[in-house]
Amino acid sequence: MSSSRPSVPPGPSRRDAALRGVRELLPATPGIFAWGLVTGVAMVKSGLGVDYALALSLLAYAGSAQLAALPLIATAAPLWLIFLTALVVNLRFIVYSAVVRPGFAHLHWNRRLWLGFIVGDVMFVRFTSLMRDEPDYPHKVAYYTGGAIANWIIWQVASIIGIVAAGQIPTAWGLELAGTLALVALLAPLCLQVPVLGGAVAAVIVSILGHSLPLRLGLLLGMVVGMAFAMLLERARPAASEAS
Amino acid sequence: MNDVYLWSAILLVTLATLVTRSSLHLLGERLRLPASVESALRFAPACALAAIAASDLAYTQNVLDLSLDNARLIAGLGAAAIQLGTRSMAATIGGGMAIYWLLRWLA
Repeated sequence: MSSSRPSVPPGPSRRDAALRGVRELLPATPGIFAWGLVTGVAMVKSGLGVDYALALSLLAYAGSAQLAALPLIATAAPLWLIFLTALVVNLRFIVYSAVVRPGFAHLHWNRRLWLGFIVGDVMFVRFTSLMRDEPDYPHKVAYYTGGAIANWIIWQVASIIGIVAAGQIPTAWGLELAGTLALVALLAPLCLQVPVLGGAVAAVIVSILGHSLPLRLGLLLGMVVGMAFAMLLERARPAASEAS
Repeated sequence: MNDVYLWSAILLVTLATLVTRSSLHLLGERLRLPASVESALRFAPACALAAIAASDLAYTQNVLDLSLDNARLIAGLGAAAIQLGTRSMAATIGGGMAIYWLLRWLA
């Protein structure tokens, strides 16, 4: 998190960058693991067979979309509705990809495809911090790839354990809270600047008010309103936001 | 529920994941966003995290609970304070879970 290694020449190798990505992802392990575990358990508890649950986890790698699709699959809902639901629940990732796009623009299309596919919330935030704080860091893509692959492995291992041992995992412990706390840990330091704090507060309010909207649209709405509000705040007090 | 249906559902969820996460990457340089949108995107990480965390913490089984009885909410706020004090994610997750479990045992 606070690795302040200066990236002066000769600079880190690609391998160093990938390892740094892994290192900066690892502290989030309890959160990612708990989330994967709970998702795995939920898939089996919804009635999905172990083989299908494993396939869904390994192929889709999309916690919230998987969870949203489960009740639909369990009730044999139309396939188009399942697709639409997964699409809408995933919408925040369109914004994520718009944010990190400049960092990948120079790569071949098939690498961009899979770099987009392996994004997770934690590595997304870490990568944007790196782009902001160390714009000249070489091997940003290796940094991202290392952390994102570590995230994938941790999530899949946890999810598979959850699927296979669904009966033995105590759901009453509220383990999924650990995943949310990992996001809180990423969020808190970002809010030390006024426009960001204002945007986050707006996102919180709108997300809470919009909770009853279908397909987690309240979440997307909160995010968009928060971004717009942060912009307004920044324009209202341009001098103060030069701190970063 | 037959095999074809289940496999179709799994592949469609996968496709939805790919479309949302990678389509902008595939468009690459061809898509130009307005400067104001590009600028607002800087706030996306914090706003996304805030929106997700708020709906996770403020609601218990789809019921809004902003009272001190909501152990998850208190644990979340405590975790934010721990993060700002220690800058350690391990301490934040561990401390937050400890607060949560403690409050539940006390309740």
